[in-house]
Amino acid sequence: MVSEIIRNLAKDLRVEFRSRFAINISLAFAVIATLALSLATGGIPFPPRVQSVLLWLIIFFSAMNGLSHIFVREDDRGTSLFLLVSTTSDAIYLSKLIYNLIFMSVLLAVITPLFVFFLQVNILGIPPFIISVLTGGLSITAVTTILAAMVAKSGGKGPLFTIISFPLLLPVLWLSIFSTAATLESTGPHGYGTQLFLLAFSGFITALSFLLFRFVWLDE
Amino acid sequence: MKLKHIILRSVYIIMPAAIVMAFLWAPPAEILGEASRIMYFHVPLAWVSVLAFVVSGVLSITHLADRNRRFTGLDEWAYHSASTGMVFTILTVITGSIWAKISWGVYWNWDPRETSIVIILLIYIAYLSLRSALAHTENRGRIGSAYLILAMITLPFFIFLVPRIYDSLHPDPIINFDRTIYLDGRMRVTLGVAILAFTLLYSYIVNILNRIAILNNTVEDTFHEDH
Repeated sequence: MVSEIIRNLAKDLRVEFRSRFAINISLAFAVIATLALSLATGGIPFPPRVQSVLLWLIIFFSAMNGLSHIFVREDDRGTSLFLLVSTTSDAIYLSKLIYNLIFMSVLLAVITPLFVFFLQVNILGIPPFIISVLTGGLSITAVTTILAAMVAKSGGKGPLFTIISFPLLLPVLWLSIFSTAATLESTGPHGYGTQLFLLAFSGFITALSFLLFRFVWLDE
Repeated sequence: MKLKHIILRSVYIIMPAAIVMAFLWAPPAEILGEASRIMYFHVPLAWVSVLAFVVSGVLSITHLADRNRRFTGLDEWAYHSASTGMVFTILTVITGSIWAKISWGVYWNWDPRETSIVIILLIYIAYLSLRSALAHTENRGRIGSAYLILAMITLPFFIFLVPRIYDSLHPDPIINFDRTIYLDGRMRVTLGVAILAFTLLYSYIVNILNRIAILNNTVEDTFHEDH
């Protein structure tokens, strides 16, 4: 199974690297949203809570533009059947999950510094801030990977991915906004309870998605 | 007549009885007065909203676990339960907003229970959108069921989480001076009858939808056999 995952992951990365479609769209959205916000405020910094909300809104919508692409592409190009013949459904899920984690890491690596730079964010606790962003990103990826497969099966229709992701991502966004805001507001000692909760949540959702994936991806 | 039908049709007697008891028999609450009578509609509606959600989730689990297809149409039943539940959830939000305006002076203030019911509503909307997007797809039932299971499992995280973020204004401090849910004997009985009436109404509607679906499938099968 490991070789299947590596082979499929390498294929996905190669295909994405050739077109760079999904990553370009997501990053373009993030840059436009950040610059538009910065321009609209004229350089006046927002309160920490508002900055945290805006950061997570940009991360959420950028992710929504790109994370479903990995499954929608297979369906668009008619390669999902070949994928099924050559790879088990468990290996497909895990390889797509790892791909989406890499995709999300690239998104976060670009969005976060850009946001901090243009919106004059003053981070009081840098390590907790980074951990907070990373765990939030991990949780978003864990929840949305199986939902991306569902959207692909429905023909990748428009904003459906955002509609079905939002209710399940609310706990993640909520906690991430609060924990990120805490790292911007206070210099005091930061507990990592929220981040641990998000890690546990991600693990739980990944395990459940792994079990359910075959019902979504394999035809009856 | 089957026992199931007798039970379901008892809604014709129990629902009017619940309405009469709510307006005429139960006494008004200490602080809220006559406005407290909305409780006999809001609480049962909220109960059915959650019940319909759990029933949909359990039916979805059974549908996916039933590999030998011993039970047919469970995904359809889950869909009917969810679509009925969504109507009850909208009514819960409306009655809750009216009660909030009377008690707290505002229609909406993101109280933990308000937040929880909105999340259930969003899940219903997402599930119904997904089902409609999957029309004419063979896997519609399985994908819809997988989504409902994910949603049902995520919800307890919220119930654990939300009260830790926001303080609740819900009835404990509102109905009575001693800050506990104290209900008069008649109020208790009326609330119990109302909950039973709304549960029967939900079961009655879902049963009708299931029967319509079975008839539709039979008509379709007959049509395909003839052509």
